[in-house]
Amino acid sequence: MMDWILDFYNYRVVGQYLPEFARGFASTVWISLLALGISLSVGTITAMMRMSANPLLWRFAAGYVQAIRSTPLLIQIYLIYFTLPALPLLGRRLDEFEGGVIALGLNAGAYMSEIIRAGIESISSGQIEGAQSVGMTYLQRMRYVVLPQAFARVAPPLLGQTAVLIKDSSLVSFIGVFELFGAGLTVLNERLMPNEAFLTVAVCYLMIYSVMLSVTRYAQRRLGGTAA
Amino acid sequence: MFDVILSTMPFLLDGLWMTFKISLITIFFGSLIGAVVGMLRTLDYAVINYPLGAYIHTLRGTPFLIHLYFIYFILPATGISWLQFEAFPAAVIALSLYTSTYVAEIVRAAIQAVPRGQSEAARSTGMTALQCMWYVVLPQAVKLMIPPMGGVYVIIIKGTSIVSVIGIAELVRAGEHATQRHPKELMVIYGMTALLYFAYCYPVLRLARWAETKFGSVRLPS
Repeated sequence: MMDWILDFYNYRVVGQYLPEFARGFASTVWISLLALGISLSVGTITAMMRMSANPLLWRFAAGYVQAIRSTPLLIQIYLIYFTLPALPLLGRRLDEFEGGVIALGLNAGAYMSEIIRAGIESISSGQIEGAQSVGMTYLQRMRYVVLPQAFARVAPPLLGQTAVLIKDSSLVSFIGVFELFGAGLTVLNERLMPNEAFLTVAVCYLMIYSVMLSVTRYAQRRLGGTAA
Repeated sequence: MFDVILSTMPFLLDGLWMTFKISLITIFFGSLIGAVVGMLRTLDYAVINYPLGAYIHTLRGTPFLIHLYFIYFILPATGISWLQFEAFPAAVIALSLYTSTYVAEIVRAAIQAVPRGQSEAARSTGMTALQCMWYVVLPQAVKLMIPPMGGVYVIIIKGTSIVSVIGIAELVRAGEHATQRHPKELMVIYGMTALLYFAYCYPVLRLARWAETKFGSVRLPS
């Protein structure tokens, strides 16, 4: 029995590679956090542009969302990693980490913007009129009245999208970024042990997912359901 | 630039054809598995519901890359002969299982969106549970499933890009090959690849949106 287990899943090898897995785990969390920051900022700005009366603004925002939704993340990562450096504005090459994080952030940003837009649209016009009547500017209304309520309402779907973002971050291993999945690839390449490599990685992702799931459920309870 | 486009286009179109084939086979099997799982979930028997819930959450909680590697590397490592897969079946199976989790949630939500009175009335006329499902509930639920299924189909199309990693010659793989022949034209080649995906996905998304205004839709739990 012991032999069979060791044959199928050699936990001693996993123990040897524990530092690698830990490093990959931390990297996945860090990449996801950075990309989450980008996606929320991009998503909020895109949502506001999408709702603008200016056709130039809303068409640009709508085009961005459609372009992201109609192409695979992998191609977006390739395009950003390989072609952004060709643009002169940067003056230097993006390394694979920056390229991966930016691509992930821009990808999730499009999906986030749709969720945030639903949140903003769910705020009753009385709130906006009230803010206008006390003399707030557009940005003040957004900052102090609309966005706080909108984010509270759509927190659960935003968290769901964040869970997707964390899973998607595995794709940056394609351009050589070291993260959780990359740790699995290291074990596969060095020891030719797919079970030890990917079952361990799968369990790590499931751990992150279950945390996200309980946070989402908590938000749903506390903030009273989804608005979207 | 134009000669690069002209010379690589046939290869990219070959890749797109492969992407098309995989996505079509996958939507068929994925919907089949997903419909069964979704319908079983609406029965609300704890004995069935817990394992199926675990199935959905396990697949939803791990990246698709893991599913692919599980089926392509780990299952053959068990040494059981019928778990040895070539790249193509492995890709289709992994994508179908992944798809089935989305379909299952859509089917369940659509069935639950049909008013209770419908099935109660059907059962009270003496229909069996299966008859009630087949003649009364499903015909009403199917319309609600169509719009979100468009979204699922696009998820599949985008998902096929990942199976390039086990050597399937689909669109991304074709693009990678083309970049090896024209290493200076990365932007053009990946741009073309992106445009081909867009040409495939965008009409599906538009169609789904049109269907939504026509039939209504179900909202999925996030």
